[in-house]
Amino acid sequence: MQNPILSSRKTLYYYAGIWIIVILFHVFLLYYSGNVSPAEAISDAIITNLLFAAIGLGLWFPIFFGKSDEEKFVNTIINNIVGAIVAVSFWVGLDYFLLSSFLHGRYDYIGFLKNSIPWRTGIGFLYYEVIILVYYLMIYYRNNKENQLKEAELKALVKESELNSLKSQINPHFLFNSLNSISSLTMTQPEKAQEMIIKLSEFLRYTTSNKDEKLTTLEEEISNINRYLDIEKIRFGRRMQLKQSVEESCRHMKIPGLILQPLLENAVKYGVYESIDESVIEIICNCNSTALSVVVRNQWDPEFQLNKGEGVGLKNIRSRLRILYNRDDLFKIRKDSRTFEVNIVFPQS
Amino acid sequence: MEPVKALIIDDEQLARDLIRNYLHSYPDVQIIGEVENGFEGARQIAELKPDLVFLDIQMPKLNGFEMLELTENPPEIIFITAHNDFAIRAFEMNAVDYLLKPYSRERLIAAVQKAADRIRSGNIRENKIERLLQQPLTEKLERVVVKTGTKIKVIPVDRIIYLEAQDDYIMVYTDEGKHLKQGTMKYYEDHLDESKFIRVHRSYIVRIDQVVQLEPYAKDNYIMKLKNGAALKISRSGLKNLKEKFNF
Repeated sequence: MQNPILSSRKTLYYYAGIWIIVILFHVFLLYYSGNVSPAEAISDAIITNLLFAAIGLGLWFPIFFGKSDEEKFVNTIINNIVGAIVAVSFWVGLDYFLLSSFLHGRYDYIGFLKNSIPWRTGIGFLYYEVIILVYYLMIYYRNNKENQLKEAELKALVKESELNSLKSQINPHFLFNSLNSISSLTMTQPEKAQEMIIKLSEFLRYTTSNKDEKLTTLEEEISNINRYLDIEKIRFGRRMQLKQSVEESCRHMKIPGLILQPLLENAVKYGVYESIDESVIEIICNCNSTALSVVVRNQWDPEFQLNKGEGVGLKNIRSRLRILYNRDDLFKIRKDSRTFEVNIVFPQS
Repeated sequence: MEPVKALIIDDEQLARDLIRNYLHSYPDVQIIGEVENGFEGARQIAELKPDLVFLDIQMPKLNGFEMLELTENPPEIIFITAHNDFAIRAFEMNAVDYLLKPYSRERLIAAVQKAADRIRSGNIRENKIERLLQQPLTEKLERVVVKTGTKIKVIPVDRIIYLEAQDDYIMVYTDEGKHLKQGTMKYYEDHLDESKFIRVHRSYIVRIDQVVQLEPYAKDNYIMKLKNGAALKISRSGLKNLKEKFNF
């Protein structure tokens, strides 16, 4: 990381400007105290302050590279005190050496120089602390800006994944096939066609209106997936067999809205769509006071699966859980050559 | 005039009912049967010899296209599906029509009429299998369907070890045996994923990760050893392909 003062022309001008002011102030102070000549005052001010200006730039490195996030406050203090002692003694020593060789023979001045060493040391500590403070402020400011940027990125990511999960929720082929089934039912069983239209409408209403709500109850989610499964059941008849076991006490538990539906869509897609014979889909919900567990299990034949990777639907669920609960271990897939099982745990706070 | 004999192949009962009901009072078509999957479909086409098939695409295990691949002298086809992304492929196979679910009775009748005209004008049927095998597929093959006797097998391409040309047929070697299949080397060269398969000879296409080593055996000639123990002759152009692919 580059020294922030050197990183742009503007900050470098500020730094130089401040030191010029300090030098002028230094000259006037020495001159009006009456003991030194103008030439001596100017030489003293320039050498003394340029020296610290250079040391000040160098101080960036021990500060930036010696700094770690978990460093304890006490350590920081000790480091700074040691740094100050080293830097200030170096500065005072070098300053004395340079001034006494540059202005050698001017005994009055040398006498003044010797007497002023305690003063110079004090001012050195002051300079040191001011510069360190500026550096810390700069680091803090930049970290803050980085954090804000990260936060904005995270927000964008959440939005995107919400959008993705919504997009994946209404599968157009499901919709068109259902409409085709309804079209067929209107000719043979109009009441059943009507029933299916109502189920489909309720299902669409739920999937399109619930998006803002973060959490809902298991009850709500289960009734939504039942609407979906009822529709698929009308399409596939005996090919689709359902087993549900939902503990009564779990029904009021909190669960993110629309999270189960892509799961069931997945189960139907890989279980029922790809099966010639009966295919069983199981939903099992258990809970205790701290967590709700939902298992969705379907039969499948991995031989006939084309895409081996995790589908978009499951990926979306995984990332939603990560964002909502900030945990990676809530979503588990277990599969063998006959069954595919997803287990999700929803912590209850 | 004889009615057109038609077979319905769709995995959903209600979708089959709809076709039946739409055509119930239409005298030009006689529904001679309905089946609910591709395996049964291929069998019934051979047995009932319909003039026309109403064919769904997305069906369990064997999709509509794969079923057609297994069918010799396929009849006229009207695809009826909810997916609009297969239309180009369907027409390249010389399908009569492509209906998107849900569709109206008029739309179905129009398609049937077109089919009836085609059947009665006695168009010399092109060999549609040929056409199917030569159509430009945009997507790469993910599985290959073979028939052994009356049994149909779907082989994921990852199970193929190599392909060998045998006149108008291809012998497909897998880890559990070999299967003869109609087709040309050109078709498989074009439609197998080139990052996984390579043509090494006029008669051989090999899955790359099955190759163990190359051994010189005469001047400018090489033998390729495979994991299953097979040894294949490499042609000069095959060697060139290999060199280009692996930079040796």
